[in-house]
Amino acid sequence: MTREITYIEAVAEAIDEEMDRDDDVILFGEDVEDFGGNFGETAGLHEKYDDDRVRNTPLAEIGIAGMALGAAVGGIRPVAELQFADFAATAGDEIFNQIPKQPYVSGGSLEVPLTIFAPSGAGIGAGAQHSQSVHSWLGNVPGWVVVTATTPYDAKGLLKSAIRDDNPVFYLPHKALVETQGEVPDEEYTLPLGEAVVEEEGEDVTVVATQVMFHRAKEAAADLDVNVELINPRTFAPLDTETIAESVEKTGRLVVVDETVERYGTQSHIANEIVENHFFSFDAPPKTIGVKDVPIPVSPTLETEVIPGTERIKAGIESVF
Amino acid sequence: MTHDVSVDDEMAKHLLQEMLRIKIFEEETKARYEEGEIPGFVHLDRGHEGSHAGMAAAMRDDDWLAVGGARLVGQYIVKGVPLGEIMAELYGRTGGSNKGHGGQMHVSKVDRKLYGHAATIGSGQNPAVGLALAEEMKGTDNVAVTTIGDGGTSRGSFHTALIFAAYWDLPVVFIIENNGWAISTPSESLPPDRLSDYGDPVNIPTESIDGSDVETVYHTVSEAIDRARDGGGPTVIESRVARLNPHFEGDKETYRDEEELERALEEKDPVKNYRERVLEAGVVSESEIEDIIDTIEREVQEAVEYARESPDPEPEAAYEHVYKTPLYGQGEQE
Repeated sequence: MTREITYIEAVAEAIDEEMDRDDDVILFGEDVEDFGGNFGETAGLHEKYDDDRVRNTPLAEIGIAGMALGAAVGGIRPVAELQFADFAATAGDEIFNQIPKQPYVSGGSLEVPLTIFAPSGAGIGAGAQHSQSVHSWLGNVPGWVVVTATTPYDAKGLLKSAIRDDNPVFYLPHKALVETQGEVPDEEYTLPLGEAVVEEEGEDVTVVATQVMFHRAKEAAADLDVNVELINPRTFAPLDTETIAESVEKTGRLVVVDETVERYGTQSHIANEIVENHFFSFDAPPKTIGVKDVPIPVSPTLETEVIPGTERIKAGIESVF
Repeated sequence: MTHDVSVDDEMAKHLLQEMLRIKIFEEETKARYEEGEIPGFVHLDRGHEGSHAGMAAAMRDDDWLAVGGARLVGQYIVKGVPLGEIMAELYGRTGGSNKGHGGQMHVSKVDRKLYGHAATIGSGQNPAVGLALAEEMKGTDNVAVTTIGDGGTSRGSFHTALIFAAYWDLPVVFIIENNGWAISTPSESLPPDRLSDYGDPVNIPTESIDGSDVETVYHTVSEAIDRARDGGGPTVIESRVARLNPHFEGDKETYRDEEELERALEEKDPVKNYRERVLEAGVVSESEIEDIIDTIEREVQEAVEYARESPDPEPEAAYEHVYKTPLYGQGEQE
């Protein structure tokens, strides 16, 4: 049986169920106690799990990320919240040099089973320092498992797996999706990390997209007279290239849409993986679509200009025919 | 300059032995490095031996040590990492504590509760706060001790860690090993009179001590650990030592005053001073010390042999330990 809930309710259920299941799971970050998180993702948890397991922190991402690292090595499973994914940069050393590299440099003896929860993405007029999609930053640092969520079903199932995984996982919900509704099973479930999913089967062109871009690609596909195979990567690093490659072998065409900046972005990495290894599957050059190479502006007109919209995605799909 | 011995005979012998172990291991490290057997660069601990040995003697095996600063090898030794594993790690071999993935700056050993170094300098203190949090969550009375150099105290991450530790009164002992120099920048030019004063604005108890006196370190760190273990929260200790060797082997120290260095070598050598002190107090005899040295030299030679005989990693090992695989749920049917 399923029921319809919002994306953010799905997130909240995931944290609650994992805290209920495993006493080693703790949650900390700015305003996660009675304030309930910026989007309501931690509402009610402080009351239920008390001061030990749900902790407001002082305003310092360095402390949040660094403490999560030590706590994870020390044998507990922290879910550490950054209020906005952009703030990963304020804990740059912890996020780029410490967390993803300590397991490797230790020769595998240090384990870091932590989850960073960091809402990302544009579309709410939040400006250049509260709107970025940062999975390309993180994907560039081997050691992070980088996960995004597209639907309530993904949001819950992937977050539960992120918390249970023994690697550091950077989990990125999208701010503009928090109120979207979707079907979620009544019973407990998890979704595999490191695996892409074919959300809609098609014969003519493979479109790879996640989060808001996924929903826009779906709209674009519905408006076009082509049969689109829609793939949701779910995990950006390590990337499941096999599922994408199999699809391109069938369709012969590839469009990658993502909300990271086009320059050195995820789109070109994904396209390159398939072009380099499966060149002769292509009937046309691949197309990549992303955020224009500018900081994200506040004015809704300007923001709409730089973030890929349905029309741009439609044009992109048409361009490979 | 001698003082009475303020610890029991067994502890005095232990402290001397640990300092000698560091000194002899590092003399051999320097020789092996100069012969080209050890890759990368090495930072030696001369002058810090007393601070390291006194700190570790105050700890229980189950207390975490999150090492910092640049003087690391002595800290690995006093935390009980087998000498062979340290030496093989310096050599980058498979028998090293980190299988050759870490090297001199990253020796870690979870079963000895040695957390790996943040080689970016000054990023190891927030993880130490997390280690203390984990112990508290698990209901133990274990503490986390973390070291940092004078240079690292200028990093914001250090100050954030003090705030986080104080915010929840976590059992963390912050030890600043102030050896006077952040490579070529003198710590005297930093704003506080004592670097432990950085604990004052966050209401953490502080101490500033002569870190070249092993017993002073032992007593001061013991007191801080006891307080942390009893729920009394963190402490910041400045352990003032002298840097009796260059920053790294090869550093010409053009920025140092030769007379000042000579004087430090004469007055601030913790190993020489403590050896004289325990001899004078009649705690050990010259021949007992010679026996200790012989034993350590043998251990160190065995460590070198172990490192030399330990195989180089296969090139494919470069791809191991990036992720623990399979990832959660991977390969299972949905």
